[in-house]
Amino acid sequence: MSIMTDAALQAAPTTKARGYWSTVARRITRDKVSMACAFILVLIFASALLAPWLHLADPYQGSMIRRLRHIGAPGYPLGTDELGRDMLARLIYGGRLSLIVGILPVILAFVIGTSLGLVAGYVGGKLNTAIMRTVDVFYAFPSVLLAIAISGALGAGIVNSIVSLTIVFVPQITRVAESVTTGVRNMDFVEAARASGAGPFTIMRVHMLGNVLGPIFVYATGLISVSMILAAGLSFLGLGTKPPEPEWGLMLNTLRTAIYVNPWVAALPGAMIFAVSICFNLLSDGMRSAMDIRN
Amino acid sequence: MRNRKTNATAMMLAFALATAMPAIASAETVLRIGMTAADIPRTLGQPDQGFEGNRFTGLTMYDALTMWDLSSADKASAMIPGLATEWKVDDADKTKWVFKLRSGVTFHDGSPFNADAVVWNVEKVLKQDAPQFDPSQVGVTASRMPTLVSARKIDDMTVELTTKEPDSFLPINLTNLFMASPAKWQQFYDKAEGADAKAKSQAAWAAFAKDASGTGPWKMSSFTPRERLELVKNDKYWDKARVPKTDKMVLLPMPEANARTAALLSGQVNWVEAPAPDALPEIKQRGFVLYSNEEPHVWPWQFSRVEGSPWNDIRVRKAANLCIDREGLRDGLLAGLMVPATGTFEPGHPWRGSPTFQIKYDKPAAQKLMQEAGFGPSKKLMVKIQTSASGSGQMLPLPMNEYLQQALAECYFDVQLDVIEWNTLFTNWRRGAKDPTANGSNAINVTYAAMDPFFALVRFLQSGMAPPVSNNWGFNNNPKFDELVKKARQTFEPAARDAALAELHAASVDDAAFLYVAHDVAPRAMSPKIKGFVQPKSWFVDFSPVTVAP
Amino acid sequence: MFAYTARRIVYVIPIVLSVALVCFLLVHITPGDPLVAVLPADASQELAAQLRTAYGFDRPLPVQFGLWLWRALHGDLGSSIATGRPVLSEVMRAVGNTVMLAVAAAMIGFTLGLLFGLIAGYFRDTWVDKVATSVAIAGVSLPHYWLGMVLVIIFSVQLNWLPAVGAGPGGSGAWAWDWEHLRYLVLPAITTSVIPMGIVTRTVRALTGDILSQDFVEALRAKGLRETEVFRHVVKNAAPTALAVMGLQLGYMLGGSILIETVFSWPGSGLLLNSAIFQRDLPLLQGTILVLALFFVLLNLLVDIAQAAIDPRIKRS
Repeated sequence: MSIMTDAALQAAPTTKARGYWSTVARRITRDKVSMACAFILVLIFASALLAPWLHLADPYQGSMIRRLRHIGAPGYPLGTDELGRDMLARLIYGGRLSLIVGILPVILAFVIGTSLGLVAGYVGGKLNTAIMRTVDVFYAFPSVLLAIAISGALGAGIVNSIVSLTIVFVPQITRVAESVTTGVRNMDFVEAARASGAGPFTIMRVHMLGNVLGPIFVYATGLISVSMILAAGLSFLGLGTKPPEPEWGLMLNTLRTAIYVNPWVAALPGAMIFAVSICFNLLSDGMRSAMDIRN
Repeated sequence: MRNRKTNATAMMLAFALATAMPAIASAETVLRIGMTAADIPRTLGQPDQGFEGNRFTGLTMYDALTMWDLSSADKASAMIPGLATEWKVDDADKTKWVFKLRSGVTFHDGSPFNADAVVWNVEKVLKQDAPQFDPSQVGVTASRMPTLVSARKIDDMTVELTTKEPDSFLPINLTNLFMASPAKWQQFYDKAEGADAKAKSQAAWAAFAKDASGTGPWKMSSFTPRERLELVKNDKYWDKARVPKTDKMVLLPMPEANARTAALLSGQVNWVEAPAPDALPEIKQRGFVLYSNEEPHVWPWQFSRVEGSPWNDIRVRKAANLCIDREGLRDGLLAGLMVPATGTFEPGHPWRGSPTFQIKYDKPAAQKLMQEAGFGPSKKLMVKIQTSASGSGQMLPLPMNEYLQQALAECYFDVQLDVIEWNTLFTNWRRGAKDPTANGSNAINVTYAAMDPFFALVRFLQSGMAPPVSNNWGFNNNPKFDELVKKARQTFEPAARDAALAELHAASVDDAAFLYVAHDVAPRAMSPKIKGFVQPKSWFVDFSPVTVAP
Repeated sequence: MFAYTARRIVYVIPIVLSVALVCFLLVHITPGDPLVAVLPADASQELAAQLRTAYGFDRPLPVQFGLWLWRALHGDLGSSIATGRPVLSEVMRAVGNTVMLAVAAAMIGFTLGLLFGLIAGYFRDTWVDKVATSVAIAGVSLPHYWLGMVLVIIFSVQLNWLPAVGAGPGGSGAWAWDWEHLRYLVLPAITTSVIPMGIVTRTVRALTGDILSQDFVEALRAKGLRETEVFRHVVKNAAPTALAVMGLQLGYMLGGSILIETVFSWPGSGLLLNSAIFQRDLPLLQGTILVLALFFVLLNLLVDIAQAAIDPRIKRS
């Protein structure tokens, strides 16, 4: 998360005053909801990252005698799953894959989609038509259907679900990037740069990228929540991560057999997906309103 | 505790709702069954979905020339006459068989069952230029009767069947060829529209599947694809003892164990196949009845015997077989729902024989064998097993393999699991241990049905069955097996044939040809109102004697 | 208006063709034997080859695509490999059940969404707004398949009030509009309605807020217009965008129902897609994806045209 924010900050538009970003930062730090969400996310990220050093139980080690312990059972604060594996450890370790599979597609789509959109918007003409009509074809599929169709075709697996989600998000980001670029291209400062003899590459890099990245970035953070839900959904259907890897969607799937015995343990992985997803949404909302100068 | 209380009120409410419903309906008795299949098995005669398909849409609506005796829970299920009353191989030419047909049998549409019908049904899967030839039925049928090539009418009630080579297993294989009504099909064919004969034939089969006609104890009454099949009893069934005692049977596909369990508990169905193991206490507590019995099914590791495989040492194979606490697996993981395997067939089965190698849990003996083979705590033997995370008949593949992994670690095995998708595993099974898809594994975990000698023994043990021909995945090449297979195939007197098969089975156990782990027990749970049900030692059941109390 | 409609329709044709191509390619890059549904692993190689020819899978891909497209244009999507039944009738029956679920969910989701959105927009920054926006954001952040599971746990497992799965006691074939059947629809419809509810609330709230903050509203109020009149203006101005969003949401519910239908074993297009994927039934898979995508394209087209009819500015841009 922090890496992404830094990137966005560095890309701050040269035409806007340095003060703009400090205003945005000040506003967002004052927003209690955003800060609470950021805190929760940092907590989840840090625990996933530092899982091996947290003295947790082995997330893979099962035992037939301690299957499906209830929440709060001695030694198992969050109970055990259908194979007797410690739920706390699996939820924390599960964050690793779940977050990667949820977030990486958005980052990849952000890079690819922004490049495509920038080129289409700046160059225009036939290239724009070619890129945008291709994007339209993918827009003709509802995103869940597209993700499932691609994953179904490629087969189950982590890499395949990252690929399929990236394919789902690239057209969306491309469209946003293209429309923002087209809008910015015709603005005065670009004309001025062009008049002062700057090459198209320099213009695109320095001026347009800066003014375009902000809106795309906000849009992309909003996608993370969708991506988390979809990625876990693919695993839930059996099209994502394969057992015995801990991953929230897959855990939700395999624990479904336990809803008669231990319903609330079975519901835990979904609660994690929900927590991450709602935090990203709230944070994205907070960022949007912090960046909205009119307020 | 609080849950119990809310449960009780809720149950009363549900009970009130559930009892309100049948009061409106007539006194008709209905079996409502939640199947594990994701779709209704095909209804046109040759079901898909494996033996569950045969159980629900094969043996209910159709009969075959030979059938299984499903009346006893204790004895191994034996083959009995069906639409054929007797059969005999030609003494001079052992590839020719004469089958005498049962007289007075009619299809549900009223047309007679006779020699023409048998020839027609053989040709629907074996004669490519016959109008009724249907490629979609070939796969599931031809592979279950690999030697049958043709049929010929001798007189109205006698047919002659021909095999590629002498094969004493033919009558057993024929339990899988169901007799559909040629007259009914012809009606659809004549009405069908289509560009050519092939298209018309396809259309006729599609129509036949919606309005099928066989000779079985149940008749099709209504069919909603993927959701529901209704069968009603056939009052005119030829075997009066097997006319169903229930009026109607409704089959519902419910692939999710939870969905089945929920449907049973809420009264939506009164019979479910394979309830969720974790829900068994709840099911019992609410007064439902559980049935299970050993099935002709084996959950094994099939060893690679190609050059360099660690399993080529018989001491290693025996050690693995002795190192597993199968009772612990049964009681710990499977809630009692398995039978420990000590071979493909258990004592009491006519094909069991008397193996000298006793498969049981004996860790010290296993460790000793491993030490003799040169392994120990500091020198572990690495083995790699290819398996899947799910799949029909696989039971709980991952937990069970993880259990074996832990158990075998005590006997100096270092077990690595290569988990792949079920369909891929199934395809790899056919490609063999030498194929790159084996991915370096030296055992494969695919469960198998052991209904007939070919499927239970021959395809794994005979050297000629090595890939790409059949499922001898590990390239077993043991002259003794080959000789015994040949002997069994060419022994036509049933008792002597069974003895020859028993000898083959005993030899395979003595050779520790597999890591034998478990037999499935086909658990099913039913409403206490269902009476008269007998669960045989078979993949199939007889629905005829079942009654439903109002 | 007519010219615009015609232009939009002409523009859809290349999209439809490309969608068909994508469907076909997606399905045919699939690894694995297309005949796995009818060909047991123990079948011999010659049998496999014989069946491949019988089903036409031995022909070159462009030829297969051409044939498939040609037949599809004539309303024939081929036959399912696993069941032998025509794909089109399978898909249409399933789509019917999905439409039923989507419409029920839309009624719940859109009604609540409009209500919450208007209230929140009107009473911006009050506690009512805060509650409504929280509900909305929870709605869009919920993994709906998990919500379905939790609802099943509460209402089916623990309370035993509502059935956990299925479409009526006799399946969708025996559907009737009485409580005995409708109670099967309750949980899936509520689960499906949550995301559209959230999105519609957020859209309508933003629209209402924007419109209310515009100068002309102040002018209207200054002119002494009654609040109901102001409200009428708000609704009129928000309608085109809200309509577009709702149309799109309906499309998503139709095409993206697979997760919910899997949780509730609802016999719709999503469940069909699921079984087609896991049975590797290629004709059924490509047919289902195609039909769902075409529905979505069609719905988008209708929304565009309807939007243009309400708001004339769109046509010109």
